[in-house]
Amino acid sequence: MSSIIAKDLTKKYGDFVAVDHINFEIEKGEIYGLLGPNGAGKTTTINMLTGLTLPTEGDAIVAGYSVRKQPLEVKRRIGWISSEVILDDELTAWENLEIQAKLQEVKDWKERALQLLDYFGIKEFKDRKAGKFSTGMRKKLEISMALLNSPEIIFMDEPTIGLDVNTRASMWNLIKQINKDYSVTVLLTTHYMEEADSLCNRISIINKGKIIATGSPEFLKEKYGGDVIEIELKKDVDVKLPYEVIKKDGKLRIKVPSAENAVLEVLNAVGSQNIKSLRLNKSSLDTVFITLTGGSLEEEEFDARRFYAMIRRARR
Amino acid sequence: MMEKFSALYLREMKRVYRSVYMWIMLVSQPIMWLIFFGSSFSQVPSQFLETFFHTTNYIAFILPGELSVSMLFVGMFSSMSLIQDKRFGYLKRVLVTPTPKYDVFLAKVFGGATRGLIQAPIMIVASLALGVSLNLSPLSIAVLFLSLFLIGIGFASLYSILTIKTSDWQAPGVVANLINLPLMFSSTALFPKTFFPDWLKAISDVNPISYSAELGREVLLSGDPNWAYLGYLAIFSVVMIILGTVIANKELQPE
Repeated sequence: MSSIIAKDLTKKYGDFVAVDHINFEIEKGEIYGLLGPNGAGKTTTINMLTGLTLPTEGDAIVAGYSVRKQPLEVKRRIGWISSEVILDDELTAWENLEIQAKLQEVKDWKERALQLLDYFGIKEFKDRKAGKFSTGMRKKLEISMALLNSPEIIFMDEPTIGLDVNTRASMWNLIKQINKDYSVTVLLTTHYMEEADSLCNRISIINKGKIIATGSPEFLKEKYGGDVIEIELKKDVDVKLPYEVIKKDGKLRIKVPSAENAVLEVLNAVGSQNIKSLRLNKSSLDTVFITLTGGSLEEEEFDARRFYAMIRRARR
Repeated sequence: MMEKFSALYLREMKRVYRSVYMWIMLVSQPIMWLIFFGSSFSQVPSQFLETFFHTTNYIAFILPGELSVSMLFVGMFSSMSLIQDKRFGYLKRVLVTPTPKYDVFLAKVFGGATRGLIQAPIMIVASLALGVSLNLSPLSIAVLFLSLFLIGIGFASLYSILTIKTSDWQAPGVVANLINLPLMFSSTALFPKTFFPDWLKAISDVNPISYSAELGREVLLSGDPNWAYLGYLAIFSVVMIILGTVIANKELQPE
């Protein structure tokens, strides 16, 4: 059974197409990732799937209901976690939970709230102001709030952005745990390759509003992966190699079956005097992204200012 | 259905009661008015006060006026608080739940109006301490609070309507500048309209602040209220809140 089916889901702001006819289907119980650079359309997609924004075209069935026709029914059956942790810092953890319960129409919420706080190990701090919580505790409180209405699906928008390496790893464990223990489908967005790789059953790679590949991390790596030798050039050179060479912004990205075996051959072809720096990328989702788009995730970092300027213009 | 509104309304109240700064403002603002502005006519011959203000104590005259004017500022605070929720993402948190947008609007408006009422007892006690004699009965107090609550709701709605689409901190200040000062000075809150030019009188005659100030004076000083004023305030507040509900439901965006 499917938790989410997106059909030609599209969002336009004036002439700017933020999300462009995307299609995907998420099975119940999956951890599904939308992987892409900032500004690829991930948050806009979540906004449409959670009923916050109406799609311009297309529709999605979330927890059995159309986001276009029955957004309220969708909202009753989902949980949502922001990237920056949004709580009322002036209120206690318990008061935050209470408001959430009332807004989500949860009857007998107290028992469930206590059970959730216990599960996340923050029960003893329930009467402390949320503003006094550490980042990790805030995340846990926010997840408790998202689970309060026993949702079928939890949406997590960049759940580990801004976290240090250790907290990020424990967040990954937590997401896996709640996925299992509360049998909740998870749709998360991320621009971290290793996050999608280690956490998700399946992912869709999204770039410039379009889904360019979908599958399990293993499948994608096998199909589009392969090692990539990345060379920063001192000056422009013509390279003749029996491999696929992508030239972009003074960088060469050479797709090879095995980086270790091909590196000498590549060095000879390029000429070591022309090389400023060299990097071997072993097959990963990052190399999948390079293969599919020609650019690496970091370089596709989107010009956020330009994006918001466009949206503002479109809204006017 | 009321659960959502009351949860959001209680949040507004808790945020006000727990803020030290809010208390400092709520207490100091009316007292500043009474002491500084109220003293400006203290050396005026009592005969002049009697003919011009129909009272021998100017503080008694401006007490209901200032309370009415303070409800204008309450409107500004509701719209600022809504903008804060937009900027910190809290509105998004609320709107991914099955909560209608009008509940968010109504909670801000009622929260703001309630916050404004906290000033009334402080002002009354301060005035008594300054030697003003007031006609305090359950009825006069109830009418005073009701009229203040009605204009509070009306102006909080008006402010929120005017700033519903923006998330700019500065918008409420601009609106305040364009609304508060003209409405304050074109009302009978601070001075009677006896010497107003005709155009200012015309504005004063439709200005809800005038109605609330006059009604307050009537119940607190003469004890003989004109009930039509209360009707006028009720119409103003109901029209504004309906307008606001419709507009908020259509235009309120999470960010």
